[in-house]
Amino acid sequence: MAGLYDALTTTDHKRIGRYWLRSGLLLLIGAVVLGVLLGIEGTDAESTDLFGGDNAYFQMWALYRIGLALLVAAPLLVGLATVVVPMQVGSTNIAFPRAALAAVWGFMLGAGITVVAVLAGGGFGAVDRVTNAERDAIALTLVGLGFVIVSLLLASLCLATTVISLRVKGMTLLRTPLFAWSILVTCSVWLLTLPVLLANLLIAYVDLHNGPGTFGGDASGSLAIYGQIAWVVEQPQVYAFAIPVLGILGSIVPVTAGVRAARHGLSAGLIGLFGLLAFGAWSQPYFQNDGAIPHDEKFLFIAFGLAALLPVLGAMGGAGDTLRRGGDAIVGLPAAHLVGALGGGILLLLGVVAGALRVIEPLELGGSTDQVEGIGTLAVSGVASLVLLAAIVAAVGGFWFWAAKIGGHELPPMLGRLALLDLIGGAVLLGGAQVVSGFFDTVNHPLAVPTEDIADTLAIVSLIGAVLIGLGALGVVAAIAKAVRTGATATDDPWGGHTLEWATVDGAFAEPPALVTSESPLLDDEGEDA
Amino acid sequence: MAVTTNALPAAEVTRPRTVLVATMFASAAAFMAFAGVLVIYINERAAADEWFPAGVIELGPAGFVFATMILSVFTVQWAVQAINNDDRLNAYMALGLTGLFGAAVFNQLWFIINDTGFALAGSNAEFLFLLVNGVFLAFLISAVAFLTLTFLRALIGQYGPRKADGVAAAAFYWDTVVAMWSITWYVVYVAK
Repeated sequence: MAGLYDALTTTDHKRIGRYWLRSGLLLLIGAVVLGVLLGIEGTDAESTDLFGGDNAYFQMWALYRIGLALLVAAPLLVGLATVVVPMQVGSTNIAFPRAALAAVWGFMLGAGITVVAVLAGGGFGAVDRVTNAERDAIALTLVGLGFVIVSLLLASLCLATTVISLRVKGMTLLRTPLFAWSILVTCSVWLLTLPVLLANLLIAYVDLHNGPGTFGGDASGSLAIYGQIAWVVEQPQVYAFAIPVLGILGSIVPVTAGVRAARHGLSAGLIGLFGLLAFGAWSQPYFQNDGAIPHDEKFLFIAFGLAALLPVLGAMGGAGDTLRRGGDAIVGLPAAHLVGALGGGILLLLGVVAGALRVIEPLELGGSTDQVEGIGTLAVSGVASLVLLAAIVAAVGGFWFWAAKIGGHELPPMLGRLALLDLIGGAVLLGGAQVVSGFFDTVNHPLAVPTEDIADTLAIVSLIGAVLIGLGALGVVAAIAKAVRTGATATDDPWGGHTLEWATVDGAFAEPPALVTSESPLLDDEGEDA
Repeated sequence: MAVTTNALPAAEVTRPRTVLVATMFASAAAFMAFAGVLVIYINERAAADEWFPAGVIELGPAGFVFATMILSVFTVQWAVQAINNDDRLNAYMALGLTGLFGAAVFNQLWFIINDTGFALAGSNAEFLFLLVNGVFLAFLISAVAFLTLTFLRALIGQYGPRKADGVAAAAFYWDTVVAMWSITWYVVYVAK
């Protein structure tokens, strides 16, 4: 009972962050299992029936897509940020710790309701129109997802306020460590866009029970509800879940290379630009008026898709330059956290390249007009898979990097490298095959029949990717379990870190942090130029 | 000579305007949620052949709501100024008056909703009209609750000239809700 009481009343940001991380890991395992099952079904959807009918298949398919963003990538990043960001900005705790605790419990409740409601026949609509039997379960799914979004908003509020208000003296916004800065940008984008998703859910919910039936009720088609919320896992909004990838890259690479990152301000600017280009609440194909220009042929959509390449390329170039300058420090096998950071960066780059290809209208990756309206090709899912898995891979890299601060344990490096390589390889196969399928006009709908034979081969490649991702996720969980069981204690600063979190002892500042004069305060006392 | 971090005296840990900053973020999120509903209203109206029949929605009562909301902006800023000047009596009066304006707006909006005779299941126009006004009412209630909490905290002495950010935060959120209505009034009632 004392443990439960502590869990419900703690105000320790490290503990709250660990709750987020455990939830995210548990849901990651669930998602990869679902991903493999969907992959098996996808290889021969006409004769395989793992889920018990088209409706259930559609519901699981939609859950996987929405869940990978909101139930897996988001909590992993929020958890990492809740542990690391307060320390990184020199604060003793997160702003509003009780609200942060309420957020994580609200998230668990919401995620549980969402998953159970889908398993009970709910989900985000029904293929053959919503019946009375399904209405309550669908409504419950919407309530569950609403809880998840409100919880993520509350956590974002706490994290953004921490970075704005609780920075130690001397740490201007431009001297804020890149991970903390990327979390501020991410939270700002979430706070401005996820409420719009909440509005979509509210309209669908009220319509489901009392409305005219246009937005989700029994008079509407199969994609009425999913179509209203799918924008959150499509470009540009899906990029909002991967903004911290650039922050993790910017935090890990200079420490691994053993040199101060050059052009910190430029890196922060690139992250800010990527955040701006990830703002996607305006891009909702469902509410596109008849006769108007399709949303994916509008100037703004094309401009956002192409411009998103710039900050990611810039950040990757900066990371490459930093590694080159610190070449002597990098010997032997790369550290697991470096594999995670670079792997996440490469996946994100692949994702934004695929996104840029999508907005080039002649390629028709967004879907030609004779296809199901507003759905697009499988390339839409490919972009989402690459970007969301980039976020997950970078977060896992962050586990290995900040393990000493998260749980005080040292995570096994070799198992980490293997798990991360599995995740990266699986993501490339899964997302890459989906993007290539788009070139062969495979429609982004689980029940669509591919028009080209090669789509079957690509579906098998996707399945192999899903299996690899599953193995990688299991490897991550096994590594963490092994570290906790063997109790290998990590030192307070195993990597020779540059930012304030590495000055903490057992996760707390032994004395108030000194005046900060650069973005790498722990390097300042070595007499290096700021 | 390079300045070294550890050679300098330890800096004080400061907590500047945490509540106000958080409220600004929360207000932005609330505004976007409201905008999400309102934009769908505008979008559906643009796509529809006909929207409301003429004369169903009267402009007068909605205009009274707008005028009341504009008045409340002044009273809530009066509260901020009074608490900064340690003029508690005026602060209490201004907060109370703003809350009263909120109650009046609720009453008038309730009248408008009943007066139209719209039903959720009626049509897209009626459904979205009720939803926009309903969501606004929810934010109005939350703003009045925020003011009430601030009033109580001020009453027990938690706010004063040295710590007035809670009152400023409540005022900021209130102004956000006023902005919501200003846009709604023009979009839904004036330009119907």
